Amino acid sequence: MDFCYGASRALEDISLDVPYHRVTALIGPSGCGKSTLLRCINRMNDRVPGARVTRGQVRVKGKNIHDADVDLTQLRKQVGMVFQKSNPFAKSIYDNVAYGLRIHGEKNKAVLDEAVERALRHSALWDELKDRLGASALALSGGQQQRLCIARAIATLPDVLLMDEPCSALDPISTLKIEELMSQLAREFTVIIVTHNMQQAVRVSDFTAFLHLGKIIEFGPTEDIFTNPREKLTEDYLRGIFS
Amino acid sequence: MDSSDLPRRPELRNLIIRNRKRTILGFDPQQIIKYFFGANASTAVIVLVLIMIFLVREGVDFLPTNRHELQTYRQAGLEFCDLVDRPLREHQTLSSSLRQCVSAALEPIVKDARERRNAAFLLKTQAEEKAARQREALENALEREPPPAEDQLAALRKDLQTAAAAASQALIYPSLFTAEETALFKAQLAALSPELTDLPPFIQALSAEFMTQDRAAREKYADLVTAQEEFDEAPDDLHELVDELKEQALGAKQSVEESHALAVNRQQLLEAAETTADPDEKASLIKEAEASVGEEVDLTALTKELTARTGELQTQIAAYVESAEKAAASLPDDVGTPDAAALLQKAKKGLPAHVQDMREAATALESWRVDKPVSMLRVIGAFFFGTEWITNSSWQDFFGFVPLLTGSVVIALIAVFIATPISVIAAIYTNQFATDREKELIKPVIEFIQAIPSVVLGFIGISLVGDLIKEFSEVSWLQWIPGFPIQERLNMFNAGCLLAFMAVPTMFSLSEDALNNVPRGYIDASDALGATKLQTVFRVIVPAGISGILSAVLLGLGRVIGETMVVLLVAGNRIAIPDFSAGPGVVFQPAHTLTGIIAQELGEVSRGSSHWQALFMVGIVLFTISLLVNWCARAVARRFESQKA
Repeated sequence: MDFCYGASRALEDISLDVPYHRVTALIGPSGCGKSTLLRCINRMNDRVPGARVTRGQVRVKGKNIHDADVDLTQLRKQVGMVFQKSNPFAKSIYDNVAYGLRIHGEKNKAVLDEAVERALRHSALWDELKDRLGASALALSGGQQQRLCIARAIATLPDVLLMDEPCSALDPISTLKIEELMSQLAREFTVIIVTHNMQQAVRVSDFTAFLHLGKIIEFGPTEDIFTNPREKLTEDYLRGIFS
Repeated sequence: MDSSDLPRRPELRNLIIRNRKRTILGFDPQQIIKYFFGANASTAVIVLVLIMIFLVREGVDFLPTNRHELQTYRQAGLEFCDLVDRPLREHQTLSSSLRQCVSAALEPIVKDARERRNAAFLLKTQAEEKAARQREALENALEREPPPAEDQLAALRKDLQTAAAAASQALIYPSLFTAEETALFKAQLAALSPELTDLPPFIQALSAEFMTQDRAAREKYADLVTAQEEFDEAPDDLHELVDELKEQALGAKQSVEESHALAVNRQQLLEAAETTADPDEKASLIKEAEASVGEEVDLTALTKELTARTGELQTQIAAYVESAEKAAASLPDDVGTPDAAALLQKAKKGLPAHVQDMREAATALESWRVDKPVSMLRVIGAFFFGTEWITNSSWQDFFGFVPLLTGSVVIALIAVFIATPISVIAAIYTNQFATDREKELIKPVIEFIQAIPSVVLGFIGISLVGDLIKEFSEVSWLQWIPGFPIQERLNMFNAGCLLAFMAVPTMFSLSEDALNNVPRGYIDASDALGATKLQTVFRVIVPAGISGILSAVLLGLGRVIGETMVVLLVAGNRIAIPDFSAGPGVVFQPAHTLTGIIAQELGEVSRGSSHWQALFMVGIVLFTISLLVNWCARAVARRFESQKA
């Protein structure tokens, strides 16, 4: 697959088979196209003028997401996303989690209650927050906000969960909590995480892809990549020769 | 630790960093620059404070001045007269609606006859105008001394006859007349000549017809007609008495004012004498001051004359109340047309209250005390809750600013009501849906509105919007709108529309900024969850920007409240509280405003008079309102800022 922003090619010859219900980490130096690749999967790049896939296709569960019969809102319901900076809405905790369901037309209070509880349990927030679901989401700590964003993303029960450096703005303890969360999430979702932090990739991921200048240099089980890289470039990067 | 133990500063450092400080007049240049910038920044604050001080200085004297005036109003007995005069004024309104009721009741019966008569009169005038030249020639000839020869006159007569005949032929006769009547009338019009002093017999007949019809109609509704006439004449005696007393009181007031003016003059002359150094001038000033003494006015004696007649007044009031009630009782229930019935109902409804007011006035006369001092609270109340703004009156000036405030508030509300949806929706569209090209067009165009001079907008309001509203108000299928058809082209709605137009740029730009400030992350998150554009806009962006939008609306309101030129030109400038009983149709009534009154009257009043001070009081209130509105807008915006963080 090739991907361009206008005339400049951001991704080239990407071929990646993300394994089902596993955590896949995308690593690589700044500007290598990790985030772009991630955003291709739920077509978040659509609203950037001139950005398009120029060759090849992106398939989610075997379906080309650029097919004419693919509904963008349905695709994004299937592929949830968590951003680098936590971005809960200025609404209550409950409304934040229920937002995704509501925009897809769910009005039944019982269904919403259940979904909110399930999502909050999954994101390990339920015990902390169950008594103050009506409080503003902005009053939470940074780590809680990010977990709330995860809860919001998984409330619609997506198949794939994209995480764009979800821990880069968090303190170590919050990071740890989210990392613990990820391995649990992988039981139910296919998780793709972009990270700058190689230790994190080792800790949380089952597979790792190393990108450099818009190309996939190496892809394989995380252990193999980190202990026994096939490519010289990967090895240099992992040893910190460039970053 | 001993200070000598510390390592010594290396000498080199002192060499490199040489002390290059120079001073100007003992100040460090850095400091001077800082003060210069600081001074510029504080100019605005200082000017604001100065404005406030100036306004308050000019305005605050209003209270003592007005208190003195109200004191005179009481002492000279004007208040005493008003006790009766004010409720008596209601009689006029009631009487006029009864009179309208009578004509409405008579209308269906006399309408035809009256129209026929009026049409005949009109035709006669037209015929005369057409033959005016010949007629004048004949008239001149008849008046000439010595009289011209008979044949000349005959020729002139013939000319006139031909002209009159031609004119009578050329006229268009309305279908009110039958063919026979038209022929008859035509002949009579052709025969018109200056020597005929009587009206043409046809017109006479029509007049007689009308009189008969009118008489018949009046007989049919005799109850109503007599009741109306009785009611109309009921207060005549009371009026006469009150007028007499009023004249007396006014005389007293004038002499008090004169003597007060002389005293003030004397005071000023004496002060001038104190300060002057020249002994001659001093002597002449003192002499002048001594001459400036008015005769002492014995107000107590004067007002005693008034209060002495309390009994007489009460008898008259009782007599009036009795006859008014009698007239009211004899009003019939059925008056034919619905118009008349409505007017009758209105009068019937108002009558008991009026009678009650008159009775209360009679008792109030007794408890009225000339020597009761006017409290400051009363003066403040008279300004802030006074419902009358009357100036340059020969009787008494009142400065109550409620009518002005109502005008300003209603107009501002209309403007905000119209401008808010337009600007907010435009802002949402521009910010979220418009393409870059559209943005490039919409934003400068809306912002350009701000550059239109308000006097030009006022001009448009007078010449264009007023006519448009009036025309629309006469369209038959729009009659369900309350207040239609409208009476005045210049009204609060018209002013409100134009002010809305002026408020749009402010509201639009600030709302757009507020939407722009919605964190990018919110939009990302909403998009990533699969929301459509509309869902994102209405569930995330607008709620997040709502405080900013509110603040924009408030700032727009501030802009509208302070606007002067448009309201002065377009609002109709009637100083009265709009009649809110008209429901939403009230917006089509004219009104005056806080800003308009200052602009209109400040140039014409003498400096330092109570009127001048009252206008400054209005200025203070206006200033306070603007400050409050802006403060609210800031408070709302601050909430928004804190939420975002």
